[in-house]
Amino acid sequence: MAKTAHLSDMRPQFEPFVIDCGKIPAFQYKGNLKKELAAKTITKLEAVNLLEDMLVIREFEEMIVKLRSGAYEPLPGYNYRGPTHVSIGQEGCAAGACCQLTLDDKITSTHRGHGESLAKGTVAIRAMSVEQLKARVPWSKSSQREDLIEDALEEHLYKTIGELFGKDDGYCKGRGGSMHIADFTVGHLGANAIVGGGTPIATGAAMGLRYLRKDAVVACFAGDGAFNNGVAMEAMNWASQQQFTNHYAERKHGLPLIFVVINNHYGMTHRTDDEVTGIERVARRAAGFSDGNMHAEVVNGMDALATREAMRRAIELCKKGQGPVFLDVDCYRYFGHSLSDPRMEYRTKEEEASWKAVDPIENLKAQILAAKVLDKDGLAALEKRCRDRNGRAAKRASEAADPPATDVLKYMYTDTKCEVVPAEYSKVTTHAALPEIKRVNGELSYKDALKEAFVEEMMRDKRVIFYGEDVADYGGAFKVTKGLLEAFGRDRVFNTPISEACICGTAIGLAMIGLRPVIELMYFDFALMSSDQISNQAAKWHYMSGAQTEVPAVYRVSAGAGKGYGGQHSQMLESMFCHIPGLYVIVPSTPADAKGLLKSAIRDNNPIMFVESQGLYGNKGPVPEGDYLVPIGVANVVREGSDITFVAWGPAVHDCIKAADKLKADKGVSAEVIDLRSLVPLDMETVLRSVQKTGRCVVASHTIHIGSYTAEIASTIQDEAFDYLDAPVKRVGAKNGIAPQSHILEAAFLPSVNDIINAANSIL
Amino acid sequence: MPNPIIMPKFGQMTEESSIVEWKKKEGDKVAKGDVLFTVETDKSVMEAESFFEGTLLKILVQPGVNVPVSSTVGWVGTAGEALPAVEAPKPAAPKPSAVAQPAAPAPVVATPTVTTNVPAPRPVAVAAPVCAPKLFRISPRAAAFAKHAVVDPMPIRGTGPEGRIVEKDVKDYLAAKGYDKLRISPAAKNLAAKENVCLLSVQPSEAGRISVADVERALAERPKPMSKMRQVIGQRLTQSIVTQPHFFVTVSVDMTDLIALRAKLKEQGAPYTVTDFISQAVVLTLQEFPEVNSTTDGKSIRWNSRVHLGVAVSLEQGLVVPVIRGADELTLAEINAASKALAEKARAGKLAPNEMSGSTFTISNMGMLNVENFTAIINTGEAAILAVSSTLPQPVVRDGKVVVRQIMKMTLSSDHRIVDGAMAAKFINAIKAKLEDSELWKRLTS
Repeated sequence: MAKTAHLSDMRPQFEPFVIDCGKIPAFQYKGNLKKELAAKTITKLEAVNLLEDMLVIREFEEMIVKLRSGAYEPLPGYNYRGPTHVSIGQEGCAAGACCQLTLDDKITSTHRGHGESLAKGTVAIRAMSVEQLKARVPWSKSSQREDLIEDALEEHLYKTIGELFGKDDGYCKGRGGSMHIADFTVGHLGANAIVGGGTPIATGAAMGLRYLRKDAVVACFAGDGAFNNGVAMEAMNWASQQQFTNHYAERKHGLPLIFVVINNHYGMTHRTDDEVTGIERVARRAAGFSDGNMHAEVVNGMDALATREAMRRAIELCKKGQGPVFLDVDCYRYFGHSLSDPRMEYRTKEEEASWKAVDPIENLKAQILAAKVLDKDGLAALEKRCRDRNGRAAKRASEAADPPATDVLKYMYTDTKCEVVPAEYSKVTTHAALPEIKRVNGELSYKDALKEAFVEEMMRDKRVIFYGEDVADYGGAFKVTKGLLEAFGRDRVFNTPISEACICGTAIGLAMIGLRPVIELMYFDFALMSSDQISNQAAKWHYMSGAQTEVPAVYRVSAGAGKGYGGQHSQMLESMFCHIPGLYVIVPSTPADAKGLLKSAIRDNNPIMFVESQGLYGNKGPVPEGDYLVPIGVANVVREGSDITFVAWGPAVHDCIKAADKLKADKGVSAEVIDLRSLVPLDMETVLRSVQKTGRCVVASHTIHIGSYTAEIASTIQDEAFDYLDAPVKRVGAKNGIAPQSHILEAAFLPSVNDIINAANSIL
Repeated sequence: MPNPIIMPKFGQMTEESSIVEWKKKEGDKVAKGDVLFTVETDKSVMEAESFFEGTLLKILVQPGVNVPVSSTVGWVGTAGEALPAVEAPKPAAPKPSAVAQPAAPAPVVATPTVTTNVPAPRPVAVAAPVCAPKLFRISPRAAAFAKHAVVDPMPIRGTGPEGRIVEKDVKDYLAAKGYDKLRISPAAKNLAAKENVCLLSVQPSEAGRISVADVERALAERPKPMSKMRQVIGQRLTQSIVTQPHFFVTVSVDMTDLIALRAKLKEQGAPYTVTDFISQAVVLTLQEFPEVNSTTDGKSIRWNSRVHLGVAVSLEQGLVVPVIRGADELTLAEINAASKALAEKARAGKLAPNEMSGSTFTISNMGMLNVENFTAIINTGEAAILAVSSTLPQPVVRDGKVVVRQIMKMTLSSDHRIVDGAMAAKFINAIKAKLEDSELWKRLTS
């Protein structure tokens, strides 16, 4: 059993030395088809398949080009609306890399991702059993494997084109489209329209494969432009962490992750090398992240065989536990960023011609003819088959049903949760005694209630893992998770680099692989560092994938002012995240709810923003022992009353209870207090029922006034219970400003019990 | 610190007002809402209520003195309290001076109340904040409650913030009105709700029970809006009777001969009406008495050189007065033709506006309606109007014998500012003389 606790014992060391960055090889492949056939490193069939994969991509991309002018013969005059980020010229990279992947291997891709998406599918289909194929094309009349493959390939194109056309039969049921296409059945975890946005997801997926001991890899396709983005560099660092392979690790195994840089030299229209970076080759980036340069090399992407060979070695390294690997695949985009980009504003025709002269398809075609793998007729037949297949698929796709307009919001959320833990994950081994959680008179602090939820859920389900900044040995900035590392080991509880985007993004990849990650953001303010991963990725993938995947990730954030920490460590930002569709937002206010809701959140299959109030961590209250759940989306009537309704969440609930007490004592006013507990989904029914009874309402929170979710609630009340109102709905929150350090200013900034009483009195 | 009493600004355009009567004397206790004084405006007499409790310390403006609105007209405070050294506002003639107490923020006047029993129109927003009338405020919940109970919440006093009527106020009001004890049949309630009849305004035919019949009766009694035409008639006649001092002179005309002549002429194919003869007689007489064909604004008199004769015509929906223009230059036959054409147009509702205005004298003929005598209200701006009654057989003394003659009474209503009694008598007798002069008519019809 590996040691769980590590005490650093680092000594000063100032002897002179030189950091040797080593060497990054470029274009070392010396092979060709003839040699590879002779060496039996490739079969004739594999060579033909590789060529076919490239032809499939090119035919598909040329279809888009032709559709733009209504010139695609099988669909005369068809109006395609959607992105036209074609990858013609880059087929060697996509097909060369994907041909080495198995069905179990995963990829993430980019906004220019038709190539990877098609190639991952075609390669997977060819490797499928007859049963798998029949399940994929139930309409096929054949039972011959070859025919089934042909039908499955057509179906693959049909679903891909269907997705571009926004059809219900598309891979993502018309919810994703060109830039978000995904096919989870073959391990395609999604193309990503945020440049670099997929890199932490791929990293998380690799973490999941590593954790589950799967013999598979993740290929993270991203363009050269992505590696100028913070999140991609966070991912490179994250993937290279020494704790995965050194004495910290329970299993010394580097992440099985291959960054495949589709280096077409342009970020949209700017030159990545030569213009917006200080390096000639993107591969050099790798030297900054691991002492072994992430096994980086520069590969000729115009030669599919070279890419194929590099990918083979990369996979080998990963499977030996020596990942991650960084492949800088040099290729070229013949068209512009999209078809509306005329290209000639930023590059020469001569440049384009020189790259077209080394076209990856022509290159392999010539070698196939030379090696007599196919003759001219065979080649022509192959090309015709690809062309006809694409035409049939496109025709079917154009005639396929559109999704019903009434289903516009379908797949926003999933209603599934983990009711039963599969046997393989229910047997949990612990490394030490579980952390002691002491009850006094049946009461626990809010903080300990959370810890108890963690312990129970981590004991219940091995797939629950937890990480964040300083959450392991130190137990988190607020000591919520102290003791979890010792009990569950570093495989399941570990520290992360200060990389908020990656903390949140890797959780998505882990969730897609089937784990149930819980992460901690030390301060809610830092969620803005990772808001792309939370808002554009975690929240959207269930919908954008047409419900192919669920993202059961819990984002624990600790929040709130009142301690003089100033503007960047005090914000209650839940209202912002309520505005993000696809995300649940939960804010418990009592220890019992903290435990019951965290347990529900961990078992729920939606991504959840779990907002903990720093001011409440020390609050004590009765917490039932053992397993119980507090349902998400059910408000709690904390106190019944008849004259006025207080609706609140988080720390404001306690302010409202105090205000209710004072109003009762001073004026005999009977106030009802509702603790929303969940903001999304929102239990408006309980609120409306109460307002119908009392006719008056104050909505309170600690968020700042402008754009506060209190406004959403007030607006819904007036909309749905107007005739029951005896007075306007009042809102109480923090001042419309920035949390200050000064105690005096901060007290003025935060809402008080008196503010709630005054609001109530103004309408009583 | 005593509170100033401010002259309210009841209308948007009101610049000055005068107090009609103080309802409190100096030294009287004043409660919030007490009427302090009444004010005459260009529309009516309004009550000014106190917003303060205390004693009426000083009256600065006596009744009948026109002062600019928003002036301080008195003080309310604690008995014995010293008053600020402020002079009484100067009377507003000829042009109102600046507001006497612009700094005084305290409103003195609450909702204006009209002294008639006609519901006051909802006060419109008033510029001066010192006496901005209260908005009608009711919470949605209270409104829904009142709607459900089918009662009009307008009279309810609101106790919520800013005087808003809240649910409790409606409940209290209904309890006070004994609403809960009423037995209202569901059908009656439905009908009342549908027709917007306040159930509290329905008189139950059986004590404590409201039936459909009761609601239907309330519905039938409910005031209906006046037609535009009736409103105009009302406005014009009210203006006339209020501003033009009327007096009345009546004569009896022996129409026997004229009626005989008319019958004979009719046989000959000349169908003159009695009105035609009267019109002709009036036109001729007006030329003899130019004062009666005049107009006054109360300060000057203007003579009308032409006679434009208005002849009132009764229609189903009201009264119109088509005008025979330049009647002084028309022959009897032309008068006949003109009045026939106008009367037809009037009945068809096709009179053009210029055919109904600009008359200098008016005849109102109720001869066909079997009346012995009546008086008419002068058409605004004219000096007199002639009311013509039915021609009825009457015993009269002729040459010492009682004989039956066809007698018609005429009453002249005159504006005393222009026409005195003697002139009215001469004028109406001149008409009478013409109507009784057979020779004249033979001449005019030959």
